Order: sequence, then structure tokens, then C-alpha cells
Amino acid sequence: MATAETETPKPNPDPATGEVDLFDADFARCPHAVYARLRAELPVARQSFIGNPVISRYEDVMWALRHPEIFSSEMDLEMALGTERPMIPQQIDPPRQTRFRKLLDPLFSRKRMQDLEPDIRRHARDLIEGFAGRGSCEFHREFAVPLPCTAFLRLLGLPAEELDLFLELKDGIIRPPAPPDRAAELRTQTGRRIYAYFDQALDERLDRPREDLLTWLTTTELDGRRLTREEMLDICFLLLLAGLDTVTATLGCSIAFLASNPAHRRRLVEDPARIDAAVEELLRYETPVTAVPRVLKRDVEVAGVQLEKGQLVTLLLGAANTDEQRFARADQVDFDRERNKHIAFGAGPHRCLGSHLARMELRVALEEWHRRIPEYRIAPGEVPLYTPGIREVRHLPLVFGPEA
Amino acid sequence: MKIRLDREACVGHGRCYELAPDVFEEDERGHCRLRFETVPPELEEQARLGEANCPEDAITLEGEG
Repeated sequence: MATAETETPKPNPDPATGEVDLFDADFARCPHAVYARLRAELPVARQSFIGNPVISRYEDVMWALRHPEIFSSEMDLEMALGTERPMIPQQIDPPRQTRFRKLLDPLFSRKRMQDLEPDIRRHARDLIEGFAGRGSCEFHREFAVPLPCTAFLRLLGLPAEELDLFLELKDGIIRPPAPPDRAAELRTQTGRRIYAYFDQALDERLDRPREDLLTWLTTTELDGRRLTREEMLDICFLLLLAGLDTVTATLGCSIAFLASNPAHRRRLVEDPARIDAAVEELLRYETPVTAVPRVLKRDVEVAGVQLEKGQLVTLLLGAANTDEQRFARADQVDFDRERNKHIAFGAGPHRCLGSHLARMELRVALEEWHRRIPEYRIAPGEVPLYTPGIREVRHLPLVFGPEA
Repeated sequence: MKIRLDREACVGHGRCYELAPDVFEEDERGHCRLRFETVPPELEEQARLGEANCPEDAITLEGEG
């Protein structure tokens, strides 16, 4: 982003207007200074362009996450991303949300996810062998995307060969490749394609059941009755969006950090038992899912600011995760941190359903990576490209081996 | 050392049973279930690890050794 020599770049957040730009490229790459200024000076800021409140202190974010009766997930449909109905269980509130979580939680439990570990580990090894000898790779395309996305498709029972189709459908909603005035239209069209795809896939399972999540949806019971087709589709839509982006983003942010921080990297090579703690600390520090939205069901005061019923509020998880009030030396990445109560997976009733799957994948990925490629760095002359929203490193060229 | 779990607050992050499997176990939903009401001395460190890493502050410890 070029700046004329006589122009001073606009501060983010801008103290004159109280506005913060959460889609700025610099913010995506390095959000921590912005988070610090928000927490200290603008605990309730205004999001640029949209103008809605942005909450950044740990205490306030956590309170909001724990009070869905005030901070509701039942967004206006125009806020929804090309959907025709709320996604389940993300866009509904307790008590209905609770019933769906009770149904889905066992399917995504840590125990169940452990069953997937051997296949994921094998796939990680195969992917790494594919480029280890070359001495370089583009991490996003060659590892961060295929590893978690293939695993997810396998879990649902969708064909892994159609990965590109699912990525296109997912991106059509989350990052529609269209100019701003055409984005909504593209989202709606993509949404229709997603519903149609899953509708057909569910029909196929009624015809010929298999051992997969989609078949399970057709046979499971909620309060003594089968799920309606609409409920099944509303779950599938969410799983598609949530499953294909988030672990990719976390892998990219984590490896980009480790590529630039040799002492941290070497620690993991020397002491692989530290990887569990490193996964958690990198989740805390990077918080790839930077923010989650809520809509207010009544007027409420936060950090001394009056907010109004009906306002769309942004809860900045990344800022909460680096709040000194909750985390000692919050701006330090410390793999020996003893107390790590981070909320990178959210908190309260909407705690990420996929968190056990994500944690397992991240652990396996870092184990297999460092076993095979202990030394690596950003390719000289290259700059990793971070995208805003969900912080993802879209372009991460690495070279392997010790520095010359 | 006595240990208490606020079952209303637990949403199944699972850090407790991951880090301290001799003190905390996983129920069918992936929520926490305590193995003890009173923690044997050799497991106090595990109990502390569990308490220290619950994002919901659902675990409380009393009368540490």
C-alpha cells in the first residue's frame, strides 16, 4: 500500500474518531500493537466503514461470550453469509443451541478425533516427503491447505479428490472473489450451490448408508425424532465453512512465527514434548480467528460505554488473548507458560466444536514437520502475505536447512 | 487438596483431561469429570495444571499442600 511521501499513515485505531480498521493489511500481519492501543485507550472502539462496536479487553469479551442471552448469535439473515437460514449450531442461541451441541459434541470429542490421528500423521509425512528433498516449499498451498482439508472431507464422507471444489465453495462465502458491489450476489449463488450439493449428498446416504458423518446426520435423533432436512443442511453449511479455513490459517501463522524465531523453533526440535504447550501458546498469540460477532438483545454497558439493543458487536478474541490483565507478559511467546487460559477457540456455549480435531492436527503437523525439517526460514527476499479477517498466511515461501 | 468442578461453566475445552489425565477424565460429551474430591498428594501438581489451563475457570482448588 503506497503512501505519498507527504502523507502520514492513518493511525490504527484512530484516536480522533475512535475507529479501528480490522481489515488493514498491516493489522493482519501484526495485530498486537493495535490490540494494545484498543485495550488501553478504546476498550469499546468503532469498526471503520461499518461503525459497530468492537470490544477488546479480556474481561469484557469473556463476559459477552458467557452471556448469550444478551450477546446473541441469532444474526439478521443479511449478516449471514449467503445462507437462507441460520447455521446450526453457530447462529442459534441456547436452549436450542444446547440441544444441538449435546448431539454433536460426542462426534467431535477428543476420544473420537484420536481415531483419525494415524491417517493424518501418515498424510502429513507424505506431504512433507513431497517437498523435503527439494529444499523449499510454499507452505500454504503444499501443506497448510491439504492436510486439514483432506482430513475434514474424509470425516464428513466427502470425496477428497474434490478438494478444489469445496475450497471454491468455501471461499465463495468467506472471501468472495468479486468486487464489493457484486460480493453479496456471489455469496447467495454460492450458498445455493452448497445447499444443493449437500442435499444431493444426503439423498445418496439415505439410498446407500456409509460410515461417515453425513450418514450419521440422516440417522441420529434429537429429542426422539430425526433431524429435518433443513437442520441437516444448516449443520453441513457450518461444517463446510468452519472446517476448511481455520486449521489452515493456524498452521500458516504458527509456522510463519517459527520460521522467523529460531530459538523457539529449536526448542521444539530439541524437546518435542513441548509441542503441546507450543500449540496452545501460538494459538493464544496468533489467534487466527481474530473476532466473532454477536447481536445485542438489550441495551448494555461495557467498559463505561452504553451499547444499544440491536447493535452488531465484534468481540476481538485476539485482543483478549494478549491482555496483560489475564496473561502475565502477554506480549511474549513463552512455550513454558504455565497458565494459558486462552480463548482462541472462543468460550462459553459456542466453544469451537472442532477444537479437539484442530488441536490434534496442529500437534501432529508440528511433530512431523520438525522431525523431518528441523531448520527452515522464510525464503530470502520474500515477505509472507497475511490476509485479514481470519488471519491466514496465503503465501509462505520457505527454504530448508541451516542458514548459509 | 480438595478439588471442585463447576459443571455449568464447563464447556469441554478439554485442557484439564489432556494435561492431567490422572485427575480429570473425559465424559461422553468431552466435558470434565473429576476422578477425586480430595486429590492425593502425588497428584496435586496435575490438579494445579488442570486449574491453570481451564479457560472457563471451572476448576477450583482448596487447601493446597
